[in-house]
Amino acid sequence: MRLIPRLAPAACAELLSVDLTSERVERAPYPLTAARLGGVSVAVELLASAIGGPLDPLSPENPLVFAPGPFAGTAVPAATKHAVATISPLTGRLTDGLSSSHWSGALRRLGLSALIVQGARANWTVLAIDDTGVRFLDGTALLGLSPAQTTQRLREMLGGRHWRVAAIGPAGESGVRFATIDNDGRQAGRGGAGAVMGSKRLKAIALASGTDSAFEIADPERVQTISRALRERALGPDTAKYRVLGTGANLRVLQRMGMLPTRNFSSASFEGAERVTPERAREEPEAYLERRSGCANCPVQCEHMYVRRTRDRKAASASEYESVWAFGPNCGVDDLDAVLDAVGRCDAYGLDTISAGGTIAFAMECAARGLIDVDAFGTPLRFGNAAVLAPAIDAIACGEGLGATLGLGVRAAAEAIGGGAEVLALHVKGLELPGYEPRALPTYALALAVCTRGACHNRAAAYDVDLRNPGQVLPDEARAAAVIDAEDTAIAWDALVLCKFTRHCFDDFWSEGATLWSAVTGEPLDPAGLRDVARRTWQRKRALNEKLGWTPAEDVLPVRLGEPLREGPYAGARIDSASLERQRWIYETLRS
Amino acid sequence: MTIELFGMARELVGAPSVRLDVDEPVPLRSVLEELAAQYPQLVGQVLAPLTHAPLDPNVVLLDGRRAHGLDEPVSDADRPCLLFLPSGG
Repeated sequence: MRLIPRLAPAACAELLSVDLTSERVERAPYPLTAARLGGVSVAVELLASAIGGPLDPLSPENPLVFAPGPFAGTAVPAATKHAVATISPLTGRLTDGLSSSHWSGALRRLGLSALIVQGARANWTVLAIDDTGVRFLDGTALLGLSPAQTTQRLREMLGGRHWRVAAIGPAGESGVRFATIDNDGRQAGRGGAGAVMGSKRLKAIALASGTDSAFEIADPERVQTISRALRERALGPDTAKYRVLGTGANLRVLQRMGMLPTRNFSSASFEGAERVTPERAREEPEAYLERRSGCANCPVQCEHMYVRRTRDRKAASASEYESVWAFGPNCGVDDLDAVLDAVGRCDAYGLDTISAGGTIAFAMECAARGLIDVDAFGTPLRFGNAAVLAPAIDAIACGEGLGATLGLGVRAAAEAIGGGAEVLALHVKGLELPGYEPRALPTYALALAVCTRGACHNRAAAYDVDLRNPGQVLPDEARAAAVIDAEDTAIAWDALVLCKFTRHCFDDFWSEGATLWSAVTGEPLDPAGLRDVARRTWQRKRALNEKLGWTPAEDVLPVRLGEPLREGPYAGARIDSASLERQRWIYETLRS
Repeated sequence: MTIELFGMARELVGAPSVRLDVDEPVPLRSVLEELAAQYPQLVGQVLAPLTHAPLDPNVVLLDGRRAHGLDEPVSDADRPCLLFLPSGG
């Protein structure tokens, strides 16, 4: 254990750097200016400045950056969030994720604009940070525990529920490349930040701060007024689908629209969709118990958790669309209970559900083609076999047998399996595809291909352009411009770190977002300035990837998407690689 | 005419589809007015109070494509459905 000098309690703008190898801890001014805002823009700036060239993401040289949103811990609703940035072990490129809730607020209330962790420990360690300093605690006794169990145990060790914990689970410990970092039941999920944390032998970061903000709000009256208005709108029809139904309601709609990726993207329609939709659990209250959950200071509380009434209520699992899709339609499984169990299992292990489901779907297809042992997990590794989900997830998380190969993610697993498995691996830059059908959503398809993070649906949310006008034919220039606008908009949200589920609560996000920033910080910002930060941050993301070895050849979509959909309203739709390349070229021209 | 309902529309009506007694083809505006009259709980939540146009993020799809406007003629063959734009997850 080592205690450093007391942190300045009211500082709202300091960077805390922790070198795990040397135990060196430094604090330096790092103000949240209007030129950098917070969250993703700060995390990417710091990461980019710490990296000189290509590196092994699981080496001590890979920094792990946490940056709270500028509104975290304030009255602004749905804004107590933070960004996590590191180099992904799945892609070898930048991964920038978001998480939220009490840990984010504690980070900000400690007076930090960011925390950067570098180096690695010889033994498993916990960082405990409060306003007395940073301590390096032995984390050996926590090995094998889930993030929730780790949180509980650390609170017992450290003495109170006011300790907020971000932790990895067993998957992060064993180096699964799509392991998550969990805090307060929320996850920085995609890209394997949990594996990076595990490679540093860092089991958890525990934060304790006072409950009051350690920073002054520039115009508290204005912030209260804006926050009250946002809160009221967030309790109205603008967020009703998230608040009342949860994102799981997407499943029925995407099935109806013929855009539901099924069986490793071999189809866009799942005959078992109605049996596996989380809405079914909601509509059967006699069979399922529903629990609601959500982030700190968020009126939406979008997380709808379900469990059979015959089971312990603590076994309730989150029913977010992507998670249910990954183990349901994408694996051809129509057993809702098995899917919910798979989601809960991933949360306990600290695994990204999209990558876990995508990897199992890939393995199912490999097994069907005789490339791997169909009985590797004791029950047939076959589309539709609900019983194989649990043993497959267990094996992946623990790195056992075929699970060790699948834990590398589909790109590396396909290389290891060989025999043409590469064409069955649905990924962009190594990150597994999420649950929207790119062949039916051409703007989204371009956004996936060029995304600096790989196949992430949230770094641009460009599917919205397509869904608003299904089947619309856009000129390539307009499509490329729409992707750029969607990317910049998402970056602005992620730099202010506002929950995108509240986007309909703003009449003019650029203007209102800038106003909110100025009211909180006192720093002038107008809509043009907010856009500038977004553009600069995108440039930093691209420049960082270039430093790591990115080339345009990586901005492509999986081979399978070149095959036409065989049925449904988008029958015949396919990704034409020449057309995509033309759009990508226009995108690059517009970006430059 | 049968209209399929999804998301909040289904939640508020309590059924996956509703049958409206209208002469076909009929402008979409009239379909939505009839829907609002029969299911007033949709107004202000899914349909705009005055125009009865779908409130964002709700939309009407006809044959899998978005309706061009409230004056577009609609018939049962269009398989109209009132749903929301999926996002996130």
